Amino acid sequence: MLLEVEALDVRYGRTHAVRGVSLGVGADEIVTVLGSNGAGKTSLLRALQGLVVPSGGRVIFDGHDITKLSPPQRLRRNLALVPEGRQIVLSLSVHENLQMGAYCRDDGGVDRDIDAIYDRFPNLAARRAMPASVLSGGEQQMLAISRALLARPKLMMLDEPSLGLSPLLVERLFGLITELRGEGIAILLVEQNTHMALEVASRGLVMELGRVVLEGPAQELRQSDRLAAAYLGHA
Amino acid sequence: MSGTAATLKKPQAALSRPVLIGAAIVAALAVAVAIGGKVIAQQIVSGLMLGAIYMTVAMAFTLTIGVLNFLNFTIPTLFMLTGMVAWGLVHRGFLSFAGGWAWLLALVIGVAVTVVASLIVERFTFRYLKTKHGDATEHAIPLVSSLGFLLIFEHLVLIAMGSEAQRFQIPFKADIHFFGLVLGGAQLLSLALAVAIVAVLTYVLKHTRMGRALRTIAESPDTASLLGVDVTRIVPVVFVLTGLLAGVAGALFTINYGDVSPFMGDHVGTKAIAAMVLGGLGSIWGAIAGGLLVGLTETLSIHYFGGDSVQMVVWGLLLAVIILRPQGLFGTASIGKGKM
Repeated sequence: MLLEVEALDVRYGRTHAVRGVSLGVGADEIVTVLGSNGAGKTSLLRALQGLVVPSGGRVIFDGHDITKLSPPQRLRRNLALVPEGRQIVLSLSVHENLQMGAYCRDDGGVDRDIDAIYDRFPNLAARRAMPASVLSGGEQQMLAISRALLARPKLMMLDEPSLGLSPLLVERLFGLITELRGEGIAILLVEQNTHMALEVASRGLVMELGRVVLEGPAQELRQSDRLAAAYLGHA
Repeated sequence: MSGTAATLKKPQAALSRPVLIGAAIVAALAVAVAIGGKVIAQQIVSGLMLGAIYMTVAMAFTLTIGVLNFLNFTIPTLFMLTGMVAWGLVHRGFLSFAGGWAWLLALVIGVAVTVVASLIVERFTFRYLKTKHGDATEHAIPLVSSLGFLLIFEHLVLIAMGSEAQRFQIPFKADIHFFGLVLGGAQLLSLALAVAIVAVLTYVLKHTRMGRALRTIAESPDTASLLGVDVTRIVPVVFVLTGLLAGVAGALFTINYGDVSPFMGDHVGTKAIAAMVLGGLGSIWGAIAGGLLVGLTETLSIHYFGGDSVQMVVWGLLLAVIILRPQGLFGTASIGKGKM
């Protein structure tokens, strides 16, 4: 397993957001974490990237215990998070956002990699000098993923990437996620769009009130009655 | 084709207002010179020299507000520290070995002490006291503790060197005569140095890796951290730059006016805050324009209405601008928090 999470706990004051979550992601698979609002999915990802300090449990990535590492240290070990709401730096240009994506790198290949991003997303190339605030929602999501790609991740975590996108763009987004897996990047995908997520993922977990209440191969989850029940709030 | 024309016009539209305001100010100055002649021209020159000092201090405030969202009240005391440390070193004869260059060495040491003091402030106001409650205390704690440092440093200097204003002698007076105007050599040098520092800082923020990281932190420290920026390592850089700007401004003030006192920073500091708000909070060009404008306003109001009018005119102008243009003269209502 590339990523192994053992009994992770996250607390904010009195709120117990993540309760003993364990999960694993293999080197070339897509794993999805499903669940309704407030189930603890975002808290889980934030703890995995080091933005919040877990109150218990361990995170093993690529053979190393990274539980105590800061977000920049985790990024340098090739673990990247595309956060909820994309978090594009609006006052920087599109090009500067991409340069920030490679901030953690000190090799000479950054310019070449940015050119490859422009080849892949001509919309970004056309707007490279503009402030990122002029981008549409879909373009912002492409920029956010491109920015994470420039850190050359082994595992990319995405927090609700389809939120606010049109059905057509959602199709494209999930196509891109499958492409990335094909390029050897493992994906941990938090989604509300259960249907699409289970289509691209090999395995899935369902969270409820901070706990994993259901997990298994994506195919089985798709037919599970408990998945629908979890969303309705009475599992 | 029409599409291209429309997209090209947009940035011009965004620029036009500050450019108009700038042009209006220059036109008003030209009219004043035409009516008042050489006397007014001389006042304008002095105003710009004074403004260069306000501009440098305003830049220090802008940097901490823009990047850290923190109004650093120790800046006036850092400004003062340079002048008083330099005076103390020369006065006690520690630098007599440097002969005629003692004044310059004293000021350089003064700036260095200021930078170190700024790092001490960082350690205690920002690093240890910064809490994440997500409410008013998050900003109030660094603000109040920096206010504490202002008073502590001021009174430490007062205990060590007394409360009187002192004379700091510069062993030269190189006035340059230019079209009948008297330009102080030291003042001209300080204007050039202030402009150079501001230009370098603007370039660093706009075009370097460090500058991009600072602008990202300005918008969202969390995002910066996700992109690999070690925020706790970059924050001290902001404090070093703040100390450098405040210290250099203090040195320039000392060279220009020759007076130092434990309270010299209070007057300049409040004017620099006014300059920053006048120009547009968190905007670098705003700090530059606001600083020069406050300097001009000060010398011209002394000339026309006498010395007692200065505070009223400067702060009256500020209040008028806040009512008419709350984002400041040169501030743009930009999207997002980052304005650097």
